Amino acid sequence: MNRPLIKALIAIALFCFLMSPPCARAQASDSSKQLERIAALISENRIDDAERQLNLILTTTPNNSLALNLLGTIRAKQQRLDDAEALFSRAVALDKEFLGAHMNLAYLYLIKGAPDKTISELREVLRLDPSNPDVSYKLAHLLLSQDRIDECIALIEEQKRPQPLPVPLIVVLGDAYSKRGDVSRAEENYLQALNQQSTNASALLGLAQLAQRKGDSKNAALYLARAKDSIKDSPDLLYSFARMALNSGMVNEALAALKRAIELKPSESRYYYSYGLAWLQKADLQESELAFREFIKRQPDSSQGQMYLGYVLLKLKKIAEAREWLEKSAQKEAQTPEIFYYLGLIAQEQADYERAEELFEKAVRLEPAFAQAYIALGSTYLKLKDFPRAQTALQTAVKLRPDDSKAHYNLALLFARLKDQQRAQDEMRLVEKLRSAEGQTDNKNEILAPQNSGPK
Amino acid sequence: MKTRFSALLVLFAILNLPVRPQSDTPSGPSKVNAIFTEVSPRASGITWVHNNAHSAERYLPETVGAGCAYLDYDNDGWMDIYLVNSGASDFYIPPAPLENALYHNNHDGTFTDVTDKAAVAGGKFGMGVAAGDYDGDGWQDIYVTNYGGNILYRNNGNGTFTDVTDKAGVAASGWSTCAVWFDYDNDGKLDLFVSGFVFYDKSQKILCTDEIRSSSYYCVPRLFKPRQSFLFRNKGNGTFADVSQESGIASSPGKSFGAVATDVNNDGLMDLFVANDTMPNFLFVNQGGGKFEEMGLPAGVAYNENGKPRSGMGVDAFDYDGDGWQDLFVANIDKEFFSLYHNQKDLTFTDEPGEIAPATHLLSGWGLKFFDYDNDGDADLFLVNGHPDDMIEKRMPTVKYKEPPLLFENTGRSYKNVSAQSGSVFSRQLTGRGMAAGDFDNDGHIDVLIANNGDAPILLRNTVGVHNNWLGLQLIATKSNPAAVGAIITWQAGGVKRTRLKTGGGSYLSSHDPREVLGLGTASKIDQVEIRWPSGKLDKLTNLPINTYIKVVEGEGILKK
Repeated sequence: MNRPLIKALIAIALFCFLMSPPCARAQASDSSKQLERIAALISENRIDDAERQLNLILTTTPNNSLALNLLGTIRAKQQRLDDAEALFSRAVALDKEFLGAHMNLAYLYLIKGAPDKTISELREVLRLDPSNPDVSYKLAHLLLSQDRIDECIALIEEQKRPQPLPVPLIVVLGDAYSKRGDVSRAEENYLQALNQQSTNASALLGLAQLAQRKGDSKNAALYLARAKDSIKDSPDLLYSFARMALNSGMVNEALAALKRAIELKPSESRYYYSYGLAWLQKADLQESELAFREFIKRQPDSSQGQMYLGYVLLKLKKIAEAREWLEKSAQKEAQTPEIFYYLGLIAQEQADYERAEELFEKAVRLEPAFAQAYIALGSTYLKLKDFPRAQTALQTAVKLRPDDSKAHYNLALLFARLKDQQRAQDEMRLVEKLRSAEGQTDNKNEILAPQNSGPK
Repeated sequence: MKTRFSALLVLFAILNLPVRPQSDTPSGPSKVNAIFTEVSPRASGITWVHNNAHSAERYLPETVGAGCAYLDYDNDGWMDIYLVNSGASDFYIPPAPLENALYHNNHDGTFTDVTDKAAVAGGKFGMGVAAGDYDGDGWQDIYVTNYGGNILYRNNGNGTFTDVTDKAGVAASGWSTCAVWFDYDNDGKLDLFVSGFVFYDKSQKILCTDEIRSSSYYCVPRLFKPRQSFLFRNKGNGTFADVSQESGIASSPGKSFGAVATDVNNDGLMDLFVANDTMPNFLFVNQGGGKFEEMGLPAGVAYNENGKPRSGMGVDAFDYDGDGWQDLFVANIDKEFFSLYHNQKDLTFTDEPGEIAPATHLLSGWGLKFFDYDNDGDADLFLVNGHPDDMIEKRMPTVKYKEPPLLFENTGRSYKNVSAQSGSVFSRQLTGRGMAAGDFDNDGHIDVLIANNGDAPILLRNTVGVHNNWLGLQLIATKSNPAAVGAIITWQAGGVKRTRLKTGGGSYLSSHDPREVLGLGTASKIDQVEIRWPSGKLDKLTNLPINTYIKVVEGEGILKK
C-alpha cells in the first residue's frame, strides 16, 4: 500500500472540505460547524469520535455529501480503500459539482493503481475549476507518465490560450515534446521556461537530456552543472539529475545526488536501484551490493533488481547467494540473455562446465550479438579441452567486439595450449595494448540492459 | 479560518510521522574456541620488533619486509626462530644499527636472543630468509635476502655462523625478495632460487604523491622495471654457479615476491611457481637437463580470467584435494581475489577458490601456508594479510591498512573459513607480511609465526587440543638433497591412504619447520609409511609409533635413538 499517497489523499480531502467554496457547503450550513469540528478530530487522529459524529449526521441526513466525503477520508486512513471509493463515489453522485470529492477519487484511484480513472477524475476537477494550474500540472504530468503524449500536449496547448502558462507546465510541455522526439519544440519550451526562471532545474535537466541525445556531451555537462545547484532538496530532481549524470559519465556527481535523494526520501526504491548501478559503474561492488539489497527490501519481486543483486554477488564471488537471486530472476525473465550468461559464469565457478556450456549457448541464442557470452563459451570449451569449438566461439566474439581484451586473452590461452607460441604472443601483445586503452575495469560489456532504465 | 488551518497543519504532522524502523534481531557474541593462541613477548622472550624505516617519502622497500623462519640451527630437535629486519640503505640510515634476530628455543616455550653470539645480525635492508643445509654437513645454514645484496650464513655447527656470501657467489645484487632451497637437477645438493624484484634505488627519485592531500604514498610497483630472478647451482664445494641464463630463469624478468618449488606434472623434477606483482605470474616447468620453460600462460596461472595480471605476493603448493597432483595458491592485493589453482593433470589449472574468494576480496595477502593444523590428514590453509600502503584508507575507505589473518579448514574438495571460531588473533588487525609454520613446542600441532611490518612478530601456539593422532618425520637424506625437497611421503592409517610431496619454500619471504607432521585423524595406529626420496630410493616403514617425532634416514629407515 502506498502510504504517502494515502496520507496525501486524507490531507487533500480535509483540505478540500475546509477550502471548498461557501456555495458547496450552503446546504449543510447548520452542520458546517459540526463538520469542521469533525475535521479537526480527524486531524487529531481521534478517528472513533469523528466517525461517531459523522454517523449521527448521516443517520439524519444520509445524503450529506460533505459527511460522506469525510467518512471516505477516514476509510482511506484505515486502508479500507474500497469503502472509501464507495463513499467518495456516493458524494460525487449526490453532488456532481463537488470538486473535493472528485479530487479525492482522483488520488484514491492513483493509490489503487488505476491511473486512467485518476485522469478522468482530474479532468472533472479541471472542468469545475479550469483555471487551477496545480490540477492542470498534475493531469499533464500523469498523462505524460502514461505515455498519453498527444493528450498531454493538447491539454497544455489549450491552457496557453486564456493566459500564459506557468513555468512547471511549460517544462512538462517540453518533456512531452522531448518524449515525442520533437527536439526543437522541446528545446523551445525548456528555453522559454528558463527565460522565466533561469534556475529551473527541470528545464535544465531537459536541455541536458536533449544535448545528450544529440551527442553534445559538452553542453550536456554544462546544463547538468547548472542544474546541480538548483536541486539540492528535491529528491525526484536529484534522481533525474543522477540518471543523466550517469549517462554523461559523471559518476561521482550521480552518486552524490542519489545519496542525497535517498536521505531525503529513503522509501523510494528506484533511488537505490540507480545507486546500485552507479556504484557498479564506479566498480565498487560492496556499495553496489548494499544498494541493491536496499532496493530488493523494498521491491522483493523486481526481476531486474534480483538480476543485478545476483550479478554483483557473482562479481563478489558470493556464488551460492548469487545463484539464488539469478535463478529467481530467470523465472520471470526467461528471455533476458544476461541472466543465463551470469548463471553460466556461476556454473564455471563451480567447475560445472557442461552446465556452463548450456547456459552460455542459451544466452547467445537469445542475443546473437552477445560477445561476452561467446567469450565465456570459448573459455568453457577451453576448460573442456574442445579446442576447435573454443576457437570458433572466441573468433565469433572477436568479430562482434574486435577490441575486447578478454576475447584476445582467451585466444592467447588457446594458441598457447595448441603450442602455437607465435600466435599466442601476438594475441597477448594485443591484450596489453587494449588493456592500457580500456583502463582497469574488468566488467565492461557484461550488462546488456540499458542501465538507465528503471527497475522492472 | 485559523482553526481550519491549524487542523490542517496538525493533520499533515500526523500523516508524516516517520515509520518505525524495523530492528534486526540482536545477535549475541559467538563462542570462540581458540585454535591458535598468542604467546606474549613476555612469555616467549621474543621482544624484538621489526623496524620498517618508515619515512615521509615512503620508499617502496619500507613496506615490503619482512620474513621469518623456523629452523633448528643447533640440532637439538627444537625449532629456533629467525627474524629479518631493515637496515642501512641508500635511502635510510638507522639512528642505531638494526639487527636481524636469532632466537634459541629453550624447550620450555621461551626463547633466548643469540643473534650476536651466532653472528647473524645482517645489517643490510633485510627482506626474507631461507634456511637450508646447502653444504650437507647436517647443520642448517641461513640465506638472507636484502634490498642491496644478499647474505649466506654458513652454520659452523657450534652455535655460530660465518658469512660466506662472497665465497659461495650468491650475493645476487639489487633487490631480492624470497629465496627457495631446492634441488632442480636432482644431483643431491640444494640449489638456490632467488626472486628478483624491481630495479629500484633512491637516485631514480620515483616518489608517489597524492596532490590533493599533499602527501606521499607507497608507489605501485607497476612504475618500476622488472628484473631477473636468479638460479644458483650448488657445485658441492661450497660454491655456486649462476645458471640463471642457461636455465631460462633469467629470460623472464619479473617483479617476484613469492616462490614455491613443487612438481606440477609429476615427472620427478621440481618446478617453480613464482608470484609477480603487477605482472603475470611465472610457472617455470623443469624440462630436465638444467632447463626451465616458463608456462604460466598456457597453464592458466599467469593472469586473472580476464587476461589481467594481478599483484601476486604469497604463494604455496599442495595437493589439497588428494588427487595426486599439486595445486597452487597465490595471494593478491585487495579486490583482485586470491586464487586456488586446481591442477587439471595436463599442465593446466582452473581457479577454484570457493569460499576463500569472498573472504579475501578486500584483503592483501602475503605469508600463507597449507598445513594440517588439526592433524585430520588434509591440508588446511593459513593466510596473513595487510595492505602495503599505509595511506590506503584515505583513498579507499573500505580497504584497511591493517588486516586480520584467516584460517581455512579443508573440507575435502574446498575450503571453509573457520577464522571466527579459531581465536582472537583472527580479529586482530595486523601489518602481516612473512609467515612460517612449525611446531615450536614439539607437541605435534603445527604453530605459526607471523612477521609484521614495522611491528612485533606474533608467535601463535596451536592449541587445537588432542583430538587426532600424528607422526612427525625428520627426513635425513644420504643421497638426496639435505632438505629432502621433492620426497613423496605416503601413509596409511585407519583405512585412509594419503600422499604428500615435500615442497620447497612457499609463503612470503619465510622458511618453515623442515619436518613433516602426518595427521592420522582418529586412527590409533599407522599401518605404513612409504618415503620415495628424490634419489628414487624407497623406504617402507612399519611398526611405527604415534604422537612422536622420528628420524628417517634415506635408505636405512628409522634412526634409532
